[in-house]
Amino acid sequence: MMVLVLALALGVTLGLLTDLQIPPNLLTYVGVAVLAAFDSCFGGIKASLERTFDDKVFAFGFITNTLLAAFIVFIGDRIGVRELYLAAVVAFGIRLFDNLASVRRIVFQRRGWE
Amino acid sequence: MDRITFRPSLVIVFAMLGFLVAIAFNTARDLGQARPDRVGDLATVARDMETQRDELQQRLSELRHRMNDLEREAAEDAGVRETFSRELREARASAGLSGVVGPGLEVILADGTEVPPGADPNDYVIHDTDLAAVVNALLAGGAEAIDVNGERIVGTTPIRCAGTTILVNSVRIGSPYTVRAIGDPVELEAALAEDHSASLVLVTYKKQFSLQVSVSQSNRLQVAAFKGTLRPQYLQQVGGDPS
Repeated sequence: MMVLVLALALGVTLGLLTDLQIPPNLLTYVGVAVLAAFDSCFGGIKASLERTFDDKVFAFGFITNTLLAAFIVFIGDRIGVRELYLAAVVAFGIRLFDNLASVRRIVFQRRGWE
Repeated sequence: MDRITFRPSLVIVFAMLGFLVAIAFNTARDLGQARPDRVGDLATVARDMETQRDELQQRLSELRHRMNDLEREAAEDAGVRETFSRELREARASAGLSGVVGPGLEVILADGTEVPPGADPNDYVIHDTDLAAVVNALLAGGAEAIDVNGERIVGTTPIRCAGTTILVNSVRIGSPYTVRAIGDPVELEAALAEDHSASLVLVTYKKQFSLQVSVSQSNRLQVAAFKGTLRPQYLQQVGGDPS
């Protein structure tokens, strides 16, 4: 678990140090991308705990999720329904909590708290 | 509990997640900072310009006084010029360049005192259109001079909305609005009652939105002089004789 926290900290430090910025109108894309990454991370942790983690499934899932989310935001922008990105946000949000619940259950079972 | 090892791909995505969050944070932080600064700048600029305008207006009225004096001196020379000078004075009074007195009508409009919960507070204030309707009706009733809170209505006077205040002659005025019109008091009051837009404000909205409205006739009203400039930039006289 420690290595994941370290990786996260490394990413944040790198981002803050380079002080990289994107055009403000693309902020929605980054927001959705963050959610997609979040979702994949929790999904990955869950799969690791269940010992079903597969590099191909994980990488492919991450890439397709991110692309679809970006596509939804893009379509929303184009057809004038900017709120369409909420669809991606809600979908990822629900999955996020689902995965978190699974992780919690597995950890509790392992430690015999249940 | 047995140890769980995480695959490198998961670790990489975690680092990417951190990176993305940092980028979003960078961008959002600068966005948040930019706005208040700009508003502050504009407010300062607006205040400075208003101060400058007040000073210039002060100077303008001083120069007008001096010009009046000089005109009077020049006119005192001969009897012929006396007539000319009187005509000039009358023209100035009509144009709004000098303060005038006479009988007329005083209309006071003020925002509604209490907005009931759930009601739109916009309905309970005097708007630029309300004020314009009253001024218009008074002009229709033959008003010879009108001012609103000391701002003389002249040919180039705009009455428009500026947030919670109203701009008259590019001066911001607020509730209560006192409209003074010189003319036949009875005719002026009748004109207000006849005008659809004005009576809507003075009668209907007054009742509906608890606006405070008072209309009173007077034998002697004072209407202020126009304080702005009348310096045409684009227009040219047509024909040789300006009269």
